[in-house]
Amino acid sequence: MNKDNKNVLTVKDKNRPADENKNAARPGPAISIEASDRDKTAIDIPIKAKKLRRQRRKTALNSIALANILLMGAVFAGGFVYVTLLPHETRADDENRMLATFPKFTPKNYISGEFTGGIADYFDDTVHDRAHIKQFIADNISPLKGRKYGDGEDGAELYGNGFVPKSTAAVTTAAKTTKTADSAVTTTETAAVPETTAPPEEVPEQGELTNNILIVNKRGITLYGGAWGTEKEYASFVNQYKEALGSKNVYSMVLPTSSSFYLPENYANLAYSEKADFDSIEESLSGVIPVDAYNILNAHKDEPIYSRTDHHWQPLGAYYAAEEFALMAGVPFADISEYEKVTLPGYVGTLYMYTQSATLLNNPEDFVYYKPKTPVTVTQYNTRFENPVAANLLLDPSSMPNSGYYMVFGSDERIVHVNTECKNGRNLVIFKDSYGNALLPMLTSSFENIYLCDIRYFDLNAIDFIDSVEATDVLFAMCSFSAVGGNRSCIRNNLTK
Amino acid sequence: MVFSRLFFIYIFLPLCLLCYAAARGIKQKNTVLIIFSLLFYAWGEPVYIFLMLVTAAVNYTAGLIIGKYQGKKGDTAATVTAVVYDLLMLGVFKYSGFITENINALFSCSIPVPHLKLPIGISFYTFQTISYIIDCHWEKVKPQKSFKNYMLFLTLFPQLVAGPIVRYSTIEKEINERSVELRDISCGLNRIALGLAKKVLIADSLSTIADSFLGNIGGSTMLGAWYGVIAYSMQVYFDFSGYSDIAIGLGRVFGFHFDENFDHPFICKDITEFWQRWHISLSTFFRDYVLYIPIFGKRRKYGGLFLVWLCTGIWHGASWNFILWGLYYGIFVFIEMKIGKKNMKKIPVVIRHIYSKLVIFIGFGIFYFEDIGKLGTFFRTAFGFGSNGFIAVQDKISLINNMYLLILAVICTFPLISTIKKVSDKRFMSKAVISSAAAVAAVMILVVTSIMLVDSTTRPFLYYRF
Repeated sequence: MNKDNKNVLTVKDKNRPADENKNAARPGPAISIEASDRDKTAIDIPIKAKKLRRQRRKTALNSIALANILLMGAVFAGGFVYVTLLPHETRADDENRMLATFPKFTPKNYISGEFTGGIADYFDDTVHDRAHIKQFIADNISPLKGRKYGDGEDGAELYGNGFVPKSTAAVTTAAKTTKTADSAVTTTETAAVPETTAPPEEVPEQGELTNNILIVNKRGITLYGGAWGTEKEYASFVNQYKEALGSKNVYSMVLPTSSSFYLPENYANLAYSEKADFDSIEESLSGVIPVDAYNILNAHKDEPIYSRTDHHWQPLGAYYAAEEFALMAGVPFADISEYEKVTLPGYVGTLYMYTQSATLLNNPEDFVYYKPKTPVTVTQYNTRFENPVAANLLLDPSSMPNSGYYMVFGSDERIVHVNTECKNGRNLVIFKDSYGNALLPMLTSSFENIYLCDIRYFDLNAIDFIDSVEATDVLFAMCSFSAVGGNRSCIRNNLTK
Repeated sequence: MVFSRLFFIYIFLPLCLLCYAAARGIKQKNTVLIIFSLLFYAWGEPVYIFLMLVTAAVNYTAGLIIGKYQGKKGDTAATVTAVVYDLLMLGVFKYSGFITENINALFSCSIPVPHLKLPIGISFYTFQTISYIIDCHWEKVKPQKSFKNYMLFLTLFPQLVAGPIVRYSTIEKEINERSVELRDISCGLNRIALGLAKKVLIADSLSTIADSFLGNIGGSTMLGAWYGVIAYSMQVYFDFSGYSDIAIGLGRVFGFHFDENFDHPFICKDITEFWQRWHISLSTFFRDYVLYIPIFGKRRKYGGLFLVWLCTGIWHGASWNFILWGLYYGIFVFIEMKIGKKNMKKIPVVIRHIYSKLVIFIGFGIFYFEDIGKLGTFFRTAFGFGSNGFIAVQDKISLINNMYLLILAVICTFPLISTIKKVSDKRFMSKAVISSAAAVAAVMILVVTSIMLVDSTTRPFLYYRF
């Protein structure tokens, strides 16, 4: 028995008789002493009684302390069992990512601290039933921070500070990558998240709203912060393609976000006008055909064309934008009735991942996508247009995380070639961000060959690539955040690779 | 390793407590504590642990020499050598990059800037060991003859990486002889739960507000700038005092009684009082070891004062804003000294409170912005010269979205727990009731905090970087 335990026990042992006295003969001693020899013990009695009382109180306080220790000990023991012995989770569907794995030991890993850090990460990240714990937090703890701004359905929550004029540019870029299997095809599934990149120093004090999300009317809205001149850069980069490609058709379709259509009037000053920047882009284009997605989407904004819980649009929005593009390109376009409509209920997208908002979590939406009925041949390549692998146009949603949006596209980090039954001799190259993915199924009746390339994951000279696939048309299709944000430099860089 | 992680709370700590309880006698217990302390440090610093061990060896040896040659030349030589070594290590690892950058800027040269990783806790353990050496030299304490015991003093994991700066004299006796009563353990465990709650439930939530409004200061309104900086001030307080609570609580569980490091600094009425309540172990270190360094002759009272505040600033980081921050407080303490305690007390309490909070919040603005340009934007915005007006809808939304958190944070800056304890201690029944309630509350807080940790990205304690 160690010394401290001895101390503890000593205290307990000392207290035991006092307890017994307390229970067995509380009035006894006083009466018996009084009866036997009152005069002689007149001084002793109060002293003994005081001692007894003090002893009793000490015992009581020690009992409380012991109970306290046992309770805390139970929490520590329970926590130990929970964190170490219960099955560890391997993936977080709501965050669209694989969880940490136990690190492999190597001397290099150990010296860098990655090994020990990785062990702590593993236990912290893979807690059993973490999805339910997170839901419990979203439902019961996070709301305790405060109230929604406004009343009832209009109640608003803000993540970020809303108005952020600064020199950084928002980028819709890949953040977390998970591997998933689709029958014979192994593909990479990527979540696109708005992130900021290093600010371009030469553009001081210019505006950009990044990573600011307003949740209002059960809808998450990424707040657009304005291009502040970068839209002209975007236009000049696209113009360079046109100059290099000569007679080929080059189109620019910058896609608005939900910020343009669903921001209530009383929050209008939280975001800048995407339309104003689109107009500025159109003015700056030279030889490039502008495709106005804004107006057609605005006309259909009462339909579910944008996700409420995801920062992307829904495939229906892509359908309308693709229709507008097909019109400008003078190619056939299949009506929506020629697609098989598939509805995935219970979808909670990326905006929940960023905000952990109970409002989004508790108000899932339907994710609706459209399968072309006409057969297509899909081949996917790496970002150098090598290693062709046969693939499906749409991945199987059953094996995928909750972010059904990606199910439509598979991933960004690849080049996809779709060969269709449309034999019109028109070959299309699409340079896009994750928004542009949704256009692919909608154009399978419009072009003979479609090459889908992500501007961020492209390791070839863009002009050489366009020439090598004998493209007749080149479409730049990306959301406003990519066109005027840091991603725009990828468009230029792809010219010089 | 960070205290506010499930791995620490539910794996490292229970294993440490179990081994500690199973160890027999004080020597075995000390061995367990040293092993777990080294493991704790090596978890985050697998390489720099050797730097700490060398520092321990140098200072332990210096202590022995000081003891052997007390009052003689050998004493002074060992003291100077050890202190110079300690400051040199701190200088090399913490300030060499900053100094080189400034030399390059000042003399337009291009000396390669060293980018050394800052060893965790070097600012804290260096000051601990300096205090030990100087106390040995001043014969305030007897040099520790056992290297193992010296290691225990220096590496004790509760306070190793982020303070408080524990003096050797504080735990000298407890290294070899300490007893732990049930109430020590229960109070210690409750204090750990309280510290975790301060960090995870309050500080981390406030950091989101602070980063939103100060992180993008160019977009903030005047109200937003004040809102952000007040949230940041409270964040730093709850973060750092939470760490100190955990350290003190852990110490108590193991039978050590560390001094308090925070005493509700936001209830201060002037800046002098603020620093008597904020990071007390650092303030007292500078008071005892720097303030009266006789290098300013007759002006040593004020010279020492500004030296202390310069050191306070530099200690917090190798950046100009920290130096500015230290001197900023030096100026206000100097002004208060000039006014005098009696005259200060004549000023109405309300005005003193407003004055002190204003100075403190602006001080934390200086503390936040390492970029001097952004600091300028902060000042312009906070004093109504910004370009975004006084208030905007985003300020209102954030205030309403976080109103209960803010109210809770403000309430928790007052000495509620100590007041309740003081009152309840007068009567047995109230003491018993409050102790029982504290036990239940601590368990609930620990459970809720642990649940929150499942959902949090790891945010290290702010003072880890100092």
